[in-house]
Amino acid sequence: MTYSSFLVSEFLVLWRRKQDVVNALLFFVIVVALFPIGINSSAEFLAPAAAGIVWCALVLAILMAIEGMFKEDFRDGSLEQWVVSGLSLPVLILLKVIVQWLAVVLPLLVMMPLFSEMLYLPSSGFWVLIMTLLLGSPSLFFIGVIGAALTVSIRQGAILVMLLILPFYLPVIIFATSAVQAVQAGLPYSGLLAMLLAMSLLSLVVSPFMTAIAVKASVN
Amino acid sequence: MNWSWFHKLGSPKWFFSWSKSWALPLFCFGCLCLVVGLVWGLAFAPADYQQGNSFRIIYIHVPVAMLAQSCYLALGVAGFVFLVWQMKMAPIFIKAMAPIGAVMALIALVSGAIWGKPTWGTWWVWDARLTSVLVLFFLYMGIIALQNSLDDLVLANKAAAVISVVGLINLPIIKYSVVLLETLHQGPTFTLTKKPEMPPEMWLPLLIAVVGMYFFVAGLVMWRMQSEILIREHRSNWVKQEVMENGF
Repeated sequence: MTYSSFLVSEFLVLWRRKQDVVNALLFFVIVVALFPIGINSSAEFLAPAAAGIVWCALVLAILMAIEGMFKEDFRDGSLEQWVVSGLSLPVLILLKVIVQWLAVVLPLLVMMPLFSEMLYLPSSGFWVLIMTLLLGSPSLFFIGVIGAALTVSIRQGAILVMLLILPFYLPVIIFATSAVQAVQAGLPYSGLLAMLLAMSLLSLVVSPFMTAIAVKASVN
Repeated sequence: MNWSWFHKLGSPKWFFSWSKSWALPLFCFGCLCLVVGLVWGLAFAPADYQQGNSFRIIYIHVPVAMLAQSCYLALGVAGFVFLVWQMKMAPIFIKAMAPIGAVMALIALVSGAIWGKPTWGTWWVWDARLTSVLVLFFLYMGIIALQNSLDDLVLANKAAAVISVVGLINLPIIKYSVVLLETLHQGPTFTLTKKPEMPPEMWLPLLIAVVGMYFFVAGLVMWRMQSEILIREHRSNWVKQEVMENGF
């Protein structure tokens, strides 16, 4: 196994199991659609709330996608193969996270104009929302992957992953939504975007190593 | 400096016999301090000029809130020690400490809400400190749930250590949330560098209560660690001997 063959096989697996990614995206669409139906479908409510709705839906969709991230690899033994392959485990995990991130976030970005129409998001807020998604979502993946690796051997790990991971997601959600609200109120927002980037970079540094520890402990 | 005490911490047997003589005195001293501090604070300290008698909940709220953070710091340190040196006592400590910390965080939240009602007129606001303490409570619950739901002991130890270390990131957020972000919550009551702005008859009982709380928790944690050691080492000879000779 080499890094490039690993990368290719990850993409292939993802492509041949499209349903997983499609499920996460469908889940996202359903959650976003629930808010206007369930609470209030007027533009006065939706325009300020749009960023929060999109971000909450995103977090839930990512949690869904991430929970099963190592499950299949754990069951068929490829996780053990990573450990004994002689390649650096943190780098493999980093590659896997990047592949997953591309698979979930890129389609979401493509769908975002649709959602901004559905939620009456003004065009000034739209680009900031896109920026927060680009800058903030990597940290969600990097933090989430730690929880996924820790709970990989538990059969019903989904609730546990949420309990472990959601506390770390709160700051990201807060900074991302307040950036969009700031631009809608005409306030400066670049500092909030910088915070999102900082959190992504910090988790980029810490998470692959922590995940590697968890993976090694899980496959014993 | 002599590091042998640190290396001895790797041995549950050594810790068990050492802590047996320490747990009760620490616990009793802590209880004594707590009783003195609380009775003094709740009954005899002068009322606040602004908040009247409702400020007295500070004598419960502040010690408990400090412990909630200190317990997590201890968890994080223990997790780090375990990941680096594989010290056997660290996961036992995490297992013993996490529920205590969770209870402390819960009491801090509840007492804070009770304090908030007469002072701010609301039980809860989504301000930075309150939210981050709520997050702290969730973190404790996550650690407890994770450690208990993993059947493989090696994996459970590692997992609890990893999540404890990662959770340390929340502590500076709690610590500086009242300083950096101007919110409803009042500033820190104690700082090491400044003289307190309260008169001594108000802060002295608080200080005693805080110290008492630390000793109280230290004693509790030692007892919980002892029973955890007995459970984990139940196959070893020294435990059998211990139970045969001093069992109750």
